[in-house]
Amino acid sequence: MTLITIPREILLKPLQAVSGIIERRHTLAILSNVLIAREAAALRFLATDVEIEISASITAEPTSDERTVTVGARKLLDILRALPDKAEISLVAQEKRLIVKSGKSRYTLQTLPTEDFPRMAAPESGSVSLSIPQALLKSLFLQVAYAMAQQDIRYYLNGLLLMVDNGVLRVVATDGHRLALAEREVAPKDIGKQEVILPRKTVLELARLLDDSDDPVAIELTGNQARFSFGSTVLVSKLIDGKFPDYNRVIPKNHPKNLVLNRLLLLHALQRAAILTNDKFRGVRWILGENTLRISSNNTEQEEAQEELDIAYTGEALDIGFNVSYLLDVLNNLETDEVECALGDGNSSALFTLKDRADFKYVVMPMRI
Amino acid sequence: MMADTPMLRSIEGYSIGMSSLPRPRRILHLDMDAFFASVELLRRPQLRGQPVVIGGRVDPREDPRTRGVVSTATYEARAFGVRSGMSLREALRRCPHVHFLPVDFSAYTPVSAQFKQIMRDYSPLLEDRGIDEAYLDITSHPLPSLALARALKQAILDRTGLTCSIGIAPNKLLAKISSELDKPDGITLLDAGDVPLRIWPMPVRTLPGVGPKTDQVLRAHAISTVADLAAVPLGQLSAMLGTAHAAWLHAAAHGEDDRPLATAREPRSRSTERTFAEDVSEKREVARRLGVLCVDLAAELTAEGLVGRTVGIKLRFSNFVTQTRDMTFSGWTADPRALRRAAFDCLQRIDMNRSVRLVGVRVSDLRRSSASDSGEDIHPGLDFGP
Repeated sequence: MTLITIPREILLKPLQAVSGIIERRHTLAILSNVLIAREAAALRFLATDVEIEISASITAEPTSDERTVTVGARKLLDILRALPDKAEISLVAQEKRLIVKSGKSRYTLQTLPTEDFPRMAAPESGSVSLSIPQALLKSLFLQVAYAMAQQDIRYYLNGLLLMVDNGVLRVVATDGHRLALAEREVAPKDIGKQEVILPRKTVLELARLLDDSDDPVAIELTGNQARFSFGSTVLVSKLIDGKFPDYNRVIPKNHPKNLVLNRLLLLHALQRAAILTNDKFRGVRWILGENTLRISSNNTEQEEAQEELDIAYTGEALDIGFNVSYLLDVLNNLETDEVECALGDGNSSALFTLKDRADFKYVVMPMRI
Repeated sequence: MMADTPMLRSIEGYSIGMSSLPRPRRILHLDMDAFFASVELLRRPQLRGQPVVIGGRVDPREDPRTRGVVSTATYEARAFGVRSGMSLREALRRCPHVHFLPVDFSAYTPVSAQFKQIMRDYSPLLEDRGIDEAYLDITSHPLPSLALARALKQAILDRTGLTCSIGIAPNKLLAKISSELDKPDGITLLDAGDVPLRIWPMPVRTLPGVGPKTDQVLRAHAISTVADLAAVPLGQLSAMLGTAHAAWLHAAAHGEDDRPLATAREPRSRSTERTFAEDVSEKREVARRLGVLCVDLAAELTAEGLVGRTVGIKLRFSNFVTQTRDMTFSGWTADPRALRRAAFDCLQRIDMNRSVRLVGVRVSDLRRSSASDSGEDIHPGLDFGP
C-alpha cells in the first residue's frame, strides 16, 4: 500500500522535526525507529525517547486505508536527505518492509511491530492551558536555558521551572552558581496556577523547534506531563519530579552599587579577557572605581589581560571576581543595548537586569580570586 | 622503552651501556592457598584433610533452595571438581560428603592484615590486591629471590599457620602467572628468558585481559596459546581487539609489563550486589531492590569519607547474561537520593526481557569528600536555604 507520494522537501520537514530526540545509541532497538501513521487525511511521524514524544504531520489525500509502520529514523532521514532536491518520493508499506521509491531509486527498509512502539501515558487531570505566540515562548526559553544544570546531582536543576501564576508565565533556570529568570504576562489572572520542571532536553528541543512567528503554541500543564502544540507538531514531555529551589530567596534586593553597562562593549571586553583566564576556574576580576570598571584576568602562566570601560559611577570602590563564562552566557543571550548591574560587597551575588523592566533577572555568585 | 635491551644483550661478552640500563625489577606475587578455607581449618582442625567448601549462608542440605555460591574450596574438595563461583548445590552434587561453612569475613580480615604486615617487613613497596594476595617490589632486597621467598613463606607459616604460593619475576604480569604455577605451597622464579618455554605453551586465557569474549575473538582467528598470540603482528591484533587492548596483550604475550606497583592504593570504586532468593521479573521490584542497595552503598561511602561521580548498575538475568549501564554526574556525591536516581536512570536503559537473579550497584571515580573537592571554597553556590 502506498502511504504517500510527495516532494522530498515536504516529507523531510516533519521527519526532521521529530527525529531530533531520537538517541543515536539506544538499547531498545525500537526507540531508534520513527512511527509513520497514515491517517485518514494526513501522514503523521512520531518519535519518542520515552521521556519526550514528538509528532508532526503533513496533509495527504483522503483515504480509508489507515496503516502504521515503524522504521529506522536515521536511515530514512539519510536516504531522503541524499535524494536529489525536488525529487518525488513514494513511501510504500509492505508486510514487514517499507519501500522508499523515487525515480529509479528504490530502498527497502525493515520495520518493527507498531505494538512494540512505546507511547506516552495519558496525562493526569487538573491542567492549566494557555496559548501564546511561539516567538514569545522561544524568547523566554533562550533568556534562561543556558543557566540550566547539566547532569547535576540535584536532578531537579537539570531542567527549567515553568510556572503560570496570576496570568504570568515565568521560567527559571539555575545550576546552583547562577540563576536566570524571565517572565511575561500572558493570560488573565484567573487562568489558574501550575508549576512544572521541564527536563533540559525538552527545553532545548522546543527552543529548536519553535519559530520566531506570532503563530500560537498551546501549552497544557498537568501534574505529570507538559504538552506543547504548534503548527502540526505536538511535543509531550514527562516532567522532572522534584522540588525546585526557592528562587526568590537568592535574588538580591537593595544592592547599593548600581551600574548601567553597554552590553556589547562589556561582552567584547570579557571575551578578550577570557582568553587569558585559568582554564579550570575561568576567573575575571572586576575593579570598580570612580567612573571606570577595570576588568582583568591572568592564567597559570602568569599572562595577564587588562580592559577598562568608562561608566557612570560615583559610588564606593569594589574588587570582585566572577566566572567569566557565567557573564558571557547572559550577555550573549540578551538583545538589549544596555544591561543594569547591581552589586553588594565582594562576597555577595551580582544582579543583572534590563533597564525599566522587571521581567528579567540574572543572579550570579562571585568567585574568590 | 625497553626495546633496546635485547640488542645490547646480543653483543656477547661486552657490557656496553649495560650499566646505564635500568636494573631489572624483582616483583613478588604472593597468593594465600585456599585462604578462607585454610583460616576456617585453623579454627576447626578436625576438618583438616577433608573436602570443605566456604560460601553462602546456609548448608544446601538444610535449605535446598539456597542460591549461594562457593567462595573457596579446600584442595580436597577441588579434587572432586568443586570450583570457586560454582553453586553450593552443584558442589554438593559433585562431592556429597563435603562440609559447608558460611563465609565469615571477621575471621579472615585480621589474618589478611597479618600476612601483609609480614610482607612489609621485607619491603615497604607493597600493592594490596585484596584479601588474599599482594605484590611486593623486592628489587632492592639484598637476599637472592629464592632465599627471600623461602624466608617469607616460613615467616607467614610460623605466625599464621597458613601456606601461600609465591611467584617472583621482572614484572607484575609474570609474577602473578608464576605464583599460580606451583600451587599450593610453591615458589616459582621466572625471568624474561623463560617466557617462550614456560608461558607460551599456556592457553591465552592465562593472561589477564583475556576474558571469555576476547578468548572467543582470538579463537576465531585460531589463536589459542600465548605463543599463537605472540606470533600475531600488533597491527593485525589491533584490528581484532582495538588498539589499547591489543597493545596490552601483545606486550603480555611477550612477557612485558611495565605497570608500577600501586603502593598507596586509593579505592577506585565501591560496589554491592544481591542475588535474589527467587528471580524477579517485575521492573518495579528490581528498581526497589536497587534503591535499597543504593542506600546501603551511600552509607558505606559516607562512613569512609568518600564521594563518587559515576554510578553503575548490573543486572544478571535468569539465563546468566549480565548487563551493566552507568552514568556520570558533573560533581561528586554520596547522597543516597542522587545514587538512587542515577541507578533508576540506568535501569531505564536496560531492556528487561527476562527475569533477574542478581542486581548490583557500583559507585566509581571516587575521591575523599572535602569542601575543596566541590570547588565551593573558590566558587560559592547560591544559598537557596534549607
